[in-house]
Amino acid sequence: MRRLPVYFLLDTSGSMYGEPIEALNNALSGMINTLRTDAQALDSLWISVITFDREVREIVPLTELASFQLPSISCPQSGPTHTGLALEMLHKKVKSEIILSTANQKGDWKPLLFLFTDGKPSDIMLYREMIPKIKAVNFGSIIACAAGNLADDSLLKELTDNVVHLDSADSATLKTFFKWVSETIEQGNKSQGTGETVALPPPPSEITIVI
Amino acid sequence: MLHSYLKALLSSHNIEVTESKESILNIFVEDFKEEIEKAIQINKNLVDKYQIRNKIKDITGQWVSLPNATVGKAYQHKVDIIGLGWDTMVFTSMEGLDELGMAYDNENEIISGTPSFSGDHKIKFLYRLQGEDDQVINEKVFNFIVNPNPRSLWKNIGSNTDDIYWKADEIFDNQKLGDRQIVVASKRGRSHANAGTFRDDDFAFKHFANTGWSIISVADGAGSASQARQGSKIACRSVIDYTEEYFKGEKLVEFDQVLAQHHHNSTDETNKYISTFVYESLSKMAYYAHKKIEEEAVRCERSIKDYHTTLIFTLLKRYEFGYAVLTFGVGDCPIGLLNKELTEIKLMNWLDVGEFGGGTRFVTMPEIFSSDKFVSRFRFKLVDDFSYLMLMTDGIYDPKFIVEANLERIEKWKEFIADLKGSNEENTVVDFNPENENIGQQLSTWLDFWSSGNHDDRTLAIIY
Repeated sequence: MRRLPVYFLLDTSGSMYGEPIEALNNALSGMINTLRTDAQALDSLWISVITFDREVREIVPLTELASFQLPSISCPQSGPTHTGLALEMLHKKVKSEIILSTANQKGDWKPLLFLFTDGKPSDIMLYREMIPKIKAVNFGSIIACAAGNLADDSLLKELTDNVVHLDSADSATLKTFFKWVSETIEQGNKSQGTGETVALPPPPSEITIVI
Repeated sequence: MLHSYLKALLSSHNIEVTESKESILNIFVEDFKEEIEKAIQINKNLVDKYQIRNKIKDITGQWVSLPNATVGKAYQHKVDIIGLGWDTMVFTSMEGLDELGMAYDNENEIISGTPSFSGDHKIKFLYRLQGEDDQVINEKVFNFIVNPNPRSLWKNIGSNTDDIYWKADEIFDNQKLGDRQIVVASKRGRSHANAGTFRDDDFAFKHFANTGWSIISVADGAGSASQARQGSKIACRSVIDYTEEYFKGEKLVEFDQVLAQHHHNSTDETNKYISTFVYESLSKMAYYAHKKIEEEAVRCERSIKDYHTTLIFTLLKRYEFGYAVLTFGVGDCPIGLLNKELTEIKLMNWLDVGEFGGGTRFVTMPEIFSSDKFVSRFRFKLVDDFSYLMLMTDGIYDPKFIVEANLERIEKWKEFIADLKGSNEENTVVDFNPENENIGQQLSTWLDFWSSGNHDDRTLAIIY
């Protein structure tokens, strides 16, 4: 059976403290509940959740949806946003976890990456250093989401063409965003031409595609 | 004991007992022995009671996860009371499991049963700690996730029959094909049925009595391409059209002669002639399919990418001395030729599979025609006889053969044939008796087999 591995990189830096982190928790758990009722997702989806602030933590290692349990995500009251460090950990994880097809082994679907941030990388050197390595992993799609007016769209653009902007990280917006994420995930397990990426479903009005 | 207690008590009131006053203390302890003993007992009780509250607070805040369950699947989980650090629990119970059709055995702290409905259930865990009164019951809430049974989630939504590229969700056929029989069935995958989208697979076949040749084609439209269902349809039909229109005349007569010669005495020359013939004829057919799809894309002002499809096809002709089998393939759909005795499998094409699932190549990609691997996409076999010649899409190959290497293993093909003949969970039988006119329907029913995670369109053509 083919797995569809999906990685979530979530910004838990100081600016997320309070209402935004609550909203993120609710939206994530709503998304998981939605996916749980999707026949295709229940059969193939594997999820990994990595959070980053000063520290980078793998809060849920790559787990199949049927066994997946989302812990409550918390964040410090202040501190830097180590996006680069998070990409570094992600790179290591993806390299060791993804199963490639061989004559004797069934490979995974191309993994998907969702990066959610409300700020900009504090470790910009490392961030830029990791970008080509992450691109070389051959994700089916990398979707970066910038929430709020402090998030830097142009830096995310360096990582991927798929950058979306949310005006705020409030509960309703995040809910809509993660609903769109689950729709995108449902696109992930279809046959594509070698080298092509996953097509994204049309986003709802709350989400602005950054061109 | 009484001494040190009293000393500590006095000390907490900043009263130090000096050496000279030890004697007073001794007498004091004697005189108030009972009261001190009582005070010690009261203090100890208070400490114990505080510790119980403390523990309850810890337990309430502790993140405890019960492994997820699935509707209809037997579940058993032992709550690891000791491992959780709850060794002072003297009584436990649960509320909320009955409704799910499950039970809690409080002797052994085991949750068991088969959950009857899905959801994010809240289960009340009731307990009492050592030292608490018998009527006291504390409560903690466990989250208990029950997944729906994946099989129950699949919907069967009809595809839009008004669409310009609509095609039937399932189709089958069985006919005579020259001196053999063909049965073929194609069915929309559950992933498409679930979303009300179209079947992307297709097939076509035809026997030409005037030349003696038969052609069978199978194609799998890319799930990610919006018009793939039409791409696969055009691909399959156009190779038939090409055969009808151009695969005839003098050159076939010449080929028949060389083949007879080749059978009698194979030489470099006959080999070379045949290779050239196969390459020239079949590459034109494949390219014709590509052009036909391109024309359609242009006509509809779309990109040819929207019509991405794989394509495999086989030309077959019966001779006095055996069968000539010519094949072409692009994509991840295999063609297998099984000998009469079922002791040998010849895989008639190599598969375009990438490092990742679903990554393949399509006949709609112009670069495949200019690639130096293009010449390796053709095969020719001259065999005395065969039992089955099969063309299938990855919707069959993925669940039944799983990996590429298995396509070269005769045991796997034998299992596959046994499966077709009824050795399967659903007990569906495909009866290959040439007299069986119902075989198309049988194969179509067989295509409904359940395989977790494999819900792609399924197309299987068998010449027997």
